[in-house]
Amino acid sequence: REARAADYIVTLLDALRENPPRVFAGGPFSDRGGSERDDMARFLPLNDAVKEHWRARLDDLGAAYREGLGQLDALAGGDFAAASPADQDAALAQNPRVPRLPAAISGFTDLLFRHTIEGCYGVPEYGGNAGGAMWRSIEFPGDVQPRGYEAGEVTDSDGPDPVTATGIVADLLRLVTSTAPESPPRPPPAPGPTSRAG
Amino acid sequence: MVGSGAGGAIAAMVLAEAGYDVVVLEKGDNWFDDVTRAAPRSWFSSDELKGGRHFAKPDPVAEPRTYRWHQSDAEPRHVGAVQDLPQTVGGASVHWDAKTPRFWDIDFRKLSLLGPIDGADVTDWPFSYDEIAPLYDEVEGLIGVSGDIDALPAEPTLRHAPRARPLPMPPGPPQLASLVAAEGCRKLEPALHPFLAPMAINSTEYDGRPACNNCGQCSNHGCPIMARVGALAALRRAVTAGAELRERSWVVRVETSGRKATGVTWIDDRGRQHHEPGDLVVLACLAIETVRLAKLSELPDPHGTIGTHFMQHWFTDGTGIFVGQRLHAHRGRSTTHVADDFADPDFPGARAAAQAAGLPYFRGGTLELGGTQFPLGEANTYRFLLTLLRPDKPFGAEFKQLMRSSVLRDRMCGIQMIGEDLPYRGNTVDLDPRVKDYRGYPVARITYSPGAHELAAQGFYRPYVAEILRRAGADYVTAVPDAASDATPLAGNEVPTTAHVMGGMRMGTDPAVSATDDEGRFHQLDNLFVADGSVFPTSGAHNPTLTIMATALRNARRWVA
Repeated sequence: REARAADYIVTLLDALRENPPRVFAGGPFSDRGGSERDDMARFLPLNDAVKEHWRARLDDLGAAYREGLGQLDALAGGDFAAASPADQDAALAQNPRVPRLPAAISGFTDLLFRHTIEGCYGVPEYGGNAGGAMWRSIEFPGDVQPRGYEAGEVTDSDGPDPVTATGIVADLLRLVTSTAPESPPRPPPAPGPTSRAG
Repeated sequence: MVGSGAGGAIAAMVLAEAGYDVVVLEKGDNWFDDVTRAAPRSWFSSDELKGGRHFAKPDPVAEPRTYRWHQSDAEPRHVGAVQDLPQTVGGASVHWDAKTPRFWDIDFRKLSLLGPIDGADVTDWPFSYDEIAPLYDEVEGLIGVSGDIDALPAEPTLRHAPRARPLPMPPGPPQLASLVAAEGCRKLEPALHPFLAPMAINSTEYDGRPACNNCGQCSNHGCPIMARVGALAALRRAVTAGAELRERSWVVRVETSGRKATGVTWIDDRGRQHHEPGDLVVLACLAIETVRLAKLSELPDPHGTIGTHFMQHWFTDGTGIFVGQRLHAHRGRSTTHVADDFADPDFPGARAAAQAAGLPYFRGGTLELGGTQFPLGEANTYRFLLTLLRPDKPFGAEFKQLMRSSVLRDRMCGIQMIGEDLPYRGNTVDLDPRVKDYRGYPVARITYSPGAHELAAQGFYRPYVAEILRRAGADYVTAVPDAASDATPLAGNEVPTTAHVMGGMRMGTDPAVSATDDEGRFHQLDNLFVADGSVFPTSGAHNPTLTIMATALRNARRWVA
């Protein structure tokens, strides 16, 4: 809620109502990295073909949201927003099937989660990540042009900063390293003559 | 000239400067205000979401590609984005992380020096390292490469890719994550030889363009300050010499008469059709779209060679996680160090492992040391993994806990091994029989499986990739194939994400196994040429773009001679 991820989603669904459409933020800089002007706030014009692609995409997303929000209400006993957190979670965990989604998106909760991620951690010009607060929450500096970084900031360690690998973090680390290969065998003796090029 | 990327820009430069009346037709938009300026204003930015929305790239819904594993598969495994490199003025070089290694001497004489491999069409290139070396020098000067050749390892790098002169700029500052991974390379047994990668990113002001300020968002982002220009350096010279650049001009057919190409048919962004006549037609749309255009044009193909021998490098992705410190790989040029010991067919133990797999030899490839993800990529990784770890509630507070932990971003040190991909006749690009783009044209269909060489090399080197990270001090380590296949069901991705597309219009003197001749001229048409990575006869074990540019320079000079 603090990130205004819902504002992000509304901005996305209504992107073509503005001119230029709020599809691609401008450039080269925002005003967060030392520029006096926020070029990202000036969205880019779309050529006719790209505009048509986005019209079709947003039509599909609009249909998915209408259907998906209705299903969440139903799953939460009629009013998702008024339901208890436990009932809301249970409804979301159903990941209701909705029409017109790309094959890679498994259901409405999946779609909602993807858009919430974008609304939380995308550049704020798209309508979410209010004030860059979500970047700060994960210690990510966001866009830094045109200031950039000094050489020392690139090369040097910021010092120890341990994270405790417990709970979900430990579970995730166990999962992603579960197929790690064993150490390679010790190297054989130096090779003999070969067919290497000179 | 069809396409304005790395190869097309170079060829356009050569032709325009030789006095040809050149028209460059670029399918995508032009996000630069004036390409005749050294450092034009651009509308690229440090905006991860913009890339996620396919900015300057093909839209995967409107212009999908299809992907399958075998020629016998009736249905594709995937429809959507496949190797979706930018389609825009400047081509894929607007988004690259600008590694500019040279291919090795053994790449150009692969059959002669290393010998054949059953099932693959290993061959020599039409030219040697000695012939292309001065052209590498020239392209490095044109696009501006930074690095220190005195710090390049004598073994194996300089022995296989010797250099006659220093690079135009010193290297930029090393990234912490890359230094950490490089130290792991040195501690490996046998020790590797990591070094600061030559990169086409300015470390000082160069040719009117500014020095890089280490913003960190290179790969998959356009450079906001023009410290990295790639193809634009050549395109600038082409346009200055009189070439006309037309963006939003999508060539859908090469017109022919007898053994001549007579011009091209193209459509604008409103769907209106146009014709552009030409005495000479050059295709430079990257390997997938160049082949697609050849197939859409129904070009003569008596030996069925167009679209065969497609290669995309077979990556192995290592991940090391450091719980005690942040490695901040979001600062600096994306992955500053590399090591190419695994590209050596005589790496200790490699010959024996190859022979145990029934192969005379294999090669892994260069290692990019120290990569990471940005927040949207990281968050979507957790989103997916939570469906496996917490199927009853794959969202909420635990997701936020993962984001705050930054284990797959700020504490991550990635290694990518760019594995050499041999040319197989059965790995192809052709037209999908059913799936069409938004204008009704059949889309490109990629059919690809790794061969015995790729799998044996990956099987041998994957433990080494993980071990480098252990020796570097990572607390958690893994290494997985980049892409799924029959033999690699557990992989990082459903389809390859390597961005190195090559082959399909391979050069050669024998029309039975090559589509273009020894200078990239189509065998069946006297004035149709190719100037992108599709002409590569083999893939090498290093990033291909510098070799695409040097090859285009060599060939285009022959066309005008």
